[in-house]
Amino acid sequence: MPRITRVCLAGAVTALALTATACTGSGTSGANDDASKPSTITFWHPWSAPNEVKAIEANVAAFEKAHPNIKVKVVGNVDADKVNQALRAGGSNAPDVVASPETSNVGKFCSSGVFADLKPFLEKSKIDAEKTFPKPMLDYTQFEGTRCSLPLLGDAYGLYYNKTAFEKAGIKSPPKTLSEFKADAIKLTKTKGDSYSQLGFMPNFHGYEVTVPHLAAQWSPEYFTSDGKSNVAKDPAFKELLTWQQDMVKSLGGFKKLEKYRATFGDEWSAQNPLHTGQIAMNIDGEWRGGMMKDAGVDFEVGVAPFPVPDDQADTYGKGFLTGTIIGLASTSTKQNAAWELVKYMTTDTDAVVSFANAINNVPSTFEALKSPKLENDTTMQAFVKIAENPNSNTAPAAVNGSAYQETLQNFAYDFESGKAKDLDAGLKKTAEQIDTDIAKAK
Amino acid sequence: MTILHGHSAALRSKRRREGLRTLAFLSPWLIGFSVFFVYPLVSTVYFSFMKYDGFKPPTFNGLTNWTYVFSQYPFFWAAMSNTLWLVAIMVTARVIFGLGIGMLITKIKTGAGFFRTFFYLPYLAPPVAATLAFAFLLNPGTGPVNQLLGDLGLPQPGWFNDPTWSKPALTLLALWGIGDLMVIFMAALLDVPKEQYEAAELDGAGSWKRFRYVTLPNISPIVLFAVVTGVIQTMQYYTQPIIAGKTASGVIGAGAGQIYEPGYPGKSTLTLPQLVYTLGFQRFDTGSACVVALVLFALSMAFTALLMRRRSGLITVED
Amino acid sequence: MTNAVTAPPVSPAAPGPARATGRSPASRAARRQELLHWIAVHSLGIAAALFFVMPFVFILLTSLMDDRQALTSALWPRSWNWDNYATVWQAPGFLTWWRNTLIYAGLGTLLTVVSSIPVAYALAKFRFRGRRIAMMLVISAMMLPPQVIIVPMYLFWAKQMHLTGTLWPLIIPMAFGDAFSIFLLRQFLLTVPNEYLDAAKVDGCGELRTLLRIVIPLAKPGIAAVALFQFFYCWNDYFGPQIYASDNPAAWTLSYGLESFKDNHHTNWNLTMAATLLVMAPVIAVFFFAQKAFIEGVTLTGVKG
Repeated sequence: MPRITRVCLAGAVTALALTATACTGSGTSGANDDASKPSTITFWHPWSAPNEVKAIEANVAAFEKAHPNIKVKVVGNVDADKVNQALRAGGSNAPDVVASPETSNVGKFCSSGVFADLKPFLEKSKIDAEKTFPKPMLDYTQFEGTRCSLPLLGDAYGLYYNKTAFEKAGIKSPPKTLSEFKADAIKLTKTKGDSYSQLGFMPNFHGYEVTVPHLAAQWSPEYFTSDGKSNVAKDPAFKELLTWQQDMVKSLGGFKKLEKYRATFGDEWSAQNPLHTGQIAMNIDGEWRGGMMKDAGVDFEVGVAPFPVPDDQADTYGKGFLTGTIIGLASTSTKQNAAWELVKYMTTDTDAVVSFANAINNVPSTFEALKSPKLENDTTMQAFVKIAENPNSNTAPAAVNGSAYQETLQNFAYDFESGKAKDLDAGLKKTAEQIDTDIAKAK
Repeated sequence: MTILHGHSAALRSKRRREGLRTLAFLSPWLIGFSVFFVYPLVSTVYFSFMKYDGFKPPTFNGLTNWTYVFSQYPFFWAAMSNTLWLVAIMVTARVIFGLGIGMLITKIKTGAGFFRTFFYLPYLAPPVAATLAFAFLLNPGTGPVNQLLGDLGLPQPGWFNDPTWSKPALTLLALWGIGDLMVIFMAALLDVPKEQYEAAELDGAGSWKRFRYVTLPNISPIVLFAVVTGVIQTMQYYTQPIIAGKTASGVIGAGAGQIYEPGYPGKSTLTLPQLVYTLGFQRFDTGSACVVALVLFALSMAFTALLMRRRSGLITVED
Repeated sequence: MTNAVTAPPVSPAAPGPARATGRSPASRAARRQELLHWIAVHSLGIAAALFFVMPFVFILLTSLMDDRQALTSALWPRSWNWDNYATVWQAPGFLTWWRNTLIYAGLGTLLTVVSSIPVAYALAKFRFRGRRIAMMLVISAMMLPPQVIIVPMYLFWAKQMHLTGTLWPLIIPMAFGDAFSIFLLRQFLLTVPNEYLDAAKVDGCGELRTLLRIVIPLAKPGIAAVALFQFFYCWNDYFGPQIYASDNPAAWTLSYGLESFKDNHHTNWNLTMAATLLVMAPVIAVFFFAQKAFIEGVTLTGVKG
């Protein structure tokens, strides 16, 4: 190729690149459609298990019956990355309504503008969010004052314990404080050779739901200062959590020995979860575990309780980590009023919320539904509903770059537990700096 | 010159016709190359200086993305050092094993076709399927491999769950799919002139000496080819580490409230292509993704240039 | 090549002196040594074959277990659950993934072959200025990791063409020549003697007719290899569908769907392994039918040039 041609080509291509990027502006608001006219909207949800898919489809069918002019095209098994990608791409394939299981992405959804602000819709429908939804759920569905999503069922975390093992070890009731928890965990641990026949609790991170955000909730931490800077080095909660975790690791046999034991566990979502098999006697997990243990047919009695709290916060016992599915409107949608009808129905209609919660073993997300007599009343669900209602229960806040700050903190925790990082204060300080750098970059 | 003058008009028109003909034959690729290579490459350079989240219009932000990736993004250097490990260990292991299997297959006299088929087959296994299968086989607690190791009283590594064993586990997967190198080496070995072996034998050379002084010099260009293409393949290493990491960490598909951790365990399986995906399609930091993409570009083109160096004779560009 | 494999170039087991003297005890010793060598080589071969085959065996055995047993230490199924395969086959989406994969691989292969042949022919047989550079650019494009250009390409298909959520962003570019296929075909066409082409031209064929009548029939093995490689590339592609089709389950391919099959909350390794085998099966079947073309293709990538 002659040099001149090449230069011309490069020039033309550059011009093309510039025009390509010039027309990538944000979507225009589409709240001009008439929700009483016939229309078809597209709804994306994250569920994939057959019983969950059946439940959501039943839910949508009930909506279509109540709104015969609106048809809903349901697309399942879509995760947050795909939602982010599709909403940015726009176009005819893009959804109008999106449900996503990752609350940590709300910051990304709200701040980028891919989810529409729901304030005008709530006002129009005369819904007082504060009186409808529990506060922690309201918190994780908004970002910096912009309400771009609503809660669609919730998840709460608590303590699952093997009642049979408790009886054998002579433990009368589930632990309430972390020091009781430690004592019980040691009592429940039986070594066998250089391994265990039963472990009280698997404290290593990667021990399934044993993650920094899930455990940190017991300290009611502040992840960010009021001016939006990372607080992980200043709030003693994080130092205390990691110190506690290290102490647990040491008292139960040390990191290496525990990791070796962890490698013998089956998959978290399989019937071979170590709690099911009796390999561990206590674990932190979400409300869905109850149903899974029932399905797996475990041969011991299962107890559920709130996860213990630090000794100096004993009066807040009963709290736990909360999260849940969120639902919102695509800002690129041209049928936002019709789409809002679906969101409103799914999030605020008590019967819809209750029947969906019953079907997929999740915690309902409105005050009315939590009180509903139709809510299935098994003891597991009752315990988790209580955790969800506890005013001290909390969640990890939304950030402009999604869950990046949690990943950074968790990565430091991995380094610290394995002994790769030794200096806790310096490490947390560096972690805070990294979080600030990432957020500044994303703003 | 003057004598030929009469011909020159006809010659020129013939040249022009030939030029047009060439252009016509090349046209599909010329279009493809411009639209699917040059344009995106220029565009990648452009975006590396922009702040762009894929939604709001891009704005210029100078060298911010570059300084972020090189000095503030902890995953970048982890990915670079993993790449170095893979180049040093995995590529070497593959070349040695490929040569070994190639030599073995040329020596097998009974059932050669049968052996060749079975040696070659794993190379065809779709990477997602093969990686899922290996994640199952190498499950440290319940997989059959550790089961067998335990029965034999051997240590049971953590494989895809242990940062020191995850890359060796990937190497094992890569050795399983050795079929391509096996065939290339097999063909090269059969091309070595028999007389040279016979001469060496008459000189009383043992099998190591025959390998060292006859086989190796003859196939060294192929060894070099295997090394360089191996390095370039390592630059593109994506599907296997991403599936292995997701499967072993238990985070696959839509994990409710799970923290996705690229390069599980402990960043040990992170590669540069994964960073492009994580930055560009999970964090929507388009600019930084483009910086990593350009690093990837520079590295792969450097090694490609090595392949095409005229004297190396690896890929002959002339005919 | 196959003949050469069964008849290796040398018989390294026969030592020089034995052959030179030809005395009978020595030749017996030689024969014994040859036998030992045969045993050694074939034992190694069997060991290697076990390494290559055992994963398939484990996958097959696991795929037939019930889901409780699939994660226990047992290697042998306690009951043979052939219906696992029916379950996978009927799993939501599985048939769609099959159809999409066939469309992607079929159409992609067809377009690649059609668009790459003339380019490869020109690069192999035409003399023109810039031929060397053109060839170098083809090789560069061939070696370029797809991730380098993915960000702008994605924006192009999403924002300009509005084709994300489909497989078209992966198929359409194949109508414009694929660097690897061009390279491979060009290497093959170099081996076609120019005399054939000149003879055709003497007979008054234009370039296009020469290509259709002479070159393509002669290049059949090369074309077959290219087609096979492209088919397998599409079949195995994970990154492409992940980028362009992930947000629309109706457009997923087997490689991408397989990952989601092993999805959260409901991991059954027996079913995952059954699905894994079902994804591998067609590739293996095609290989058995087209082994020769395939292996010749691999050889072509490296050696001749």
